[in-house]
Amino acid sequence: MRPYLPFPFLLCLVVGVQLLTQWTDTAYYLTQLTMAAYYALLVIGLCLLMGYAGQISLGHAGFFGIGGYISAALTTHNLAGVDNSLIRLLERLGLLAASTDMFGDPLLTVHPWAAAAIAILTAVLVAWLIGGPVLKLTGHYLAMATLGFGIIIYRIALATPFFGEADGISEVPPLPLLPGLAISGDFSARVTNYYIAWGLLALGLLLLVNLIHSRIGLALRAIHGSEEAAASVGVDTAKAKLKTFVLSAAYAAAAGIFLTHYNGGIGPSEAGIMKSVRYVAIVAVGGMASLWGALLMAVLLNFLSLRGLFGTYDDAVFGLILIAIMLFAPDGVLRLGIAARLRAWRQAHASR
Amino acid sequence: MKRLTSLLAALCAALLLPLTAGAGTIKIGAILAVTGPASFLGGPESRTLVMLAEELNAKGGINGNKVELIIKDSGANPEKAISFAKQLIEEEKVFAILGPSTSGETLKIKKICTQGKTILISCAAAELIVNPVSPYVFKTPQKDSHAAAKIFLTMRKQGIKKIAVLAGNTGFGKAGKAQLLKLAPQYGIEVVATEVYDKRATDLSAVVAKLMAHKEIQAVVNWSIVPAQAILAKNMRQAGWRVPLFQSHGFGNIKYVEAAGKAAEGIIFPAGRLLIADLLPDDHPQKPVLLGYKKAYEARYHEPVSTFGGHAYDAFKILCRAIGEVGPDREKVRAAIENMKGFVGTGGVFNFTPQDHNGLDIDSFAMLTVKDGKFVPYEQ
Repeated sequence: MRPYLPFPFLLCLVVGVQLLTQWTDTAYYLTQLTMAAYYALLVIGLCLLMGYAGQISLGHAGFFGIGGYISAALTTHNLAGVDNSLIRLLERLGLLAASTDMFGDPLLTVHPWAAAAIAILTAVLVAWLIGGPVLKLTGHYLAMATLGFGIIIYRIALATPFFGEADGISEVPPLPLLPGLAISGDFSARVTNYYIAWGLLALGLLLLVNLIHSRIGLALRAIHGSEEAAASVGVDTAKAKLKTFVLSAAYAAAAGIFLTHYNGGIGPSEAGIMKSVRYVAIVAVGGMASLWGALLMAVLLNFLSLRGLFGTYDDAVFGLILIAIMLFAPDGVLRLGIAARLRAWRQAHASR
Repeated sequence: MKRLTSLLAALCAALLLPLTAGAGTIKIGAILAVTGPASFLGGPESRTLVMLAEELNAKGGINGNKVELIIKDSGANPEKAISFAKQLIEEEKVFAILGPSTSGETLKIKKICTQGKTILISCAAAELIVNPVSPYVFKTPQKDSHAAAKIFLTMRKQGIKKIAVLAGNTGFGKAGKAQLLKLAPQYGIEVVATEVYDKRATDLSAVVAKLMAHKEIQAVVNWSIVPAQAILAKNMRQAGWRVPLFQSHGFGNIKYVEAAGKAAEGIIFPAGRLLIADLLPDDHPQKPVLLGYKKAYEARYHEPVSTFGGHAYDAFKILCRAIGEVGPDREKVRAAIENMKGFVGTGGVFNFTPQDHNGLDIDSFAMLTVKDGKFVPYEQ
């Protein structure tokens, strides 16, 4: 039961924050909290890979980009007026959605759910294809290989007219979940979207908490400790690493899809290398092998960044955080045990 | 867990502190790419706005209302522009938003500003910003299609029929390439070859060699906003290729001329008149505005003025003039901008209509060339 104890706290906190903003008439904070929650979804997936399986990825913004860009492109590319057998087949399967844009012109696009499914599957496929060879590497080599992957995705987004090149994609429609419930950035749908985002995040976290307390979780931690030792006691290390990589890529892609629908668009900077570095910095500051720490830091730091608190030094702040954590607190700030250290310090001085 | 909750509680308390604003102030938000890949736009834009707001407040503001400027640095990230736009509209309840610097960001917040009924005066160029037209969204930079048309008109006079088009892989290059390809047939010009290069390209001799193989090419048009503009000119000269080189209005920065050295001589490009303010005839309507802005900016920041800062200048002045005319009422100001006629700015003379939220015509561009390392009007 113990691993699930924080969940009721999380629920209370999420509801509490919403009520607090309602009472104080500051509901606009929920916008950035919603966006931060989707980034946190990516970060907890990366935390599983880095903290538990011990594999670094400097390319997770790439998977975020795959998810966001594919769903954005498919849901905005106008198929009205195009007539071929593929379109007719899609239409018969109910995978297309007809609508009008904000200026009243007819639009025929792939349905957001079909687009989301294609986006996730693509990310999973790409992760599986590159994961095989890439995860044979360790240390710096793994970091370099994933970095390279991230740059490739960024470059593809920047150079492909279908993905809007440097302008990215705008006018992405909402993602309908249930009748009357959709992921959308409309001012009127803010509170529901806050709960949707945190609900999805909690669900994602629940799955990961389950996973790390299962046999697979044990195997992953064994790999983190020593791959040779894990292999010697019968853990299929290659397979376990690949599965974790694919799962965390799927989390990143899902985060990309949800945030793109919430924002109503995506640009190449979302797939950029500074974003990947930012995610790694957040996992590190959260304490590597701590899903809750990663979640907390992801929400906190992204919230502050999205509100423009770091101003012109935004990217520099995350770079500094990464350096500072690696030097002074490699286990994360929440594991510094500040209280325990203070107590020890006080005792040492009292006994003198 | 306890530590965690107390931390969050403290955080919430700190963030929910009420925001206060002085009475009689008009809040104007600005979302600009002050840092990041588009800082050459956002930098001069934000410096211009800071300068203008200070000048205005020193003179007593608009009819006694001081202006409070809130500049947000998006670093050209669209997700930040989205977050900031919502923040400015709902939280700061700004009167209007100036910027963003890039087209990608502007297109992503166009809908948000329309829904939030907040005036947006963009400093970005893409036609999509004002076409289809949204009642609340305006832009000050000249149209790319006018720049392209101006180039083609010049070519037609020179009897050029077959050209090559080069573009950088930025939003600017992308939009320009699209306009060139779209408009060329209307002017009886054929685009023989098209090349796109990386914005960080340091050598284009391979591209030049490839294009030189097409013997029929009579001129090259390059559309980008990066140092490659100077590199291309050098590479063409090194290869001994002597066809005329046309550039976009992105060439309107003297540092590219300095970088290209001798190779820059004779490059022809369309630009706003800010770059040749000194050389304009005294009766030109824009001359006092251009010289005034140029002197004030250069005296304060000790760097050459750029046309991009001029876009922010125009946006700020248009907004302030409308507020001055009808008072700080958003709907009235919106209507006032929409019907504003004969506003003389750095980009040209603006004549807005409810259908045209840019308000500039093709004469907002002049054709310039480089002579003895300086920009001068191009005479045919």
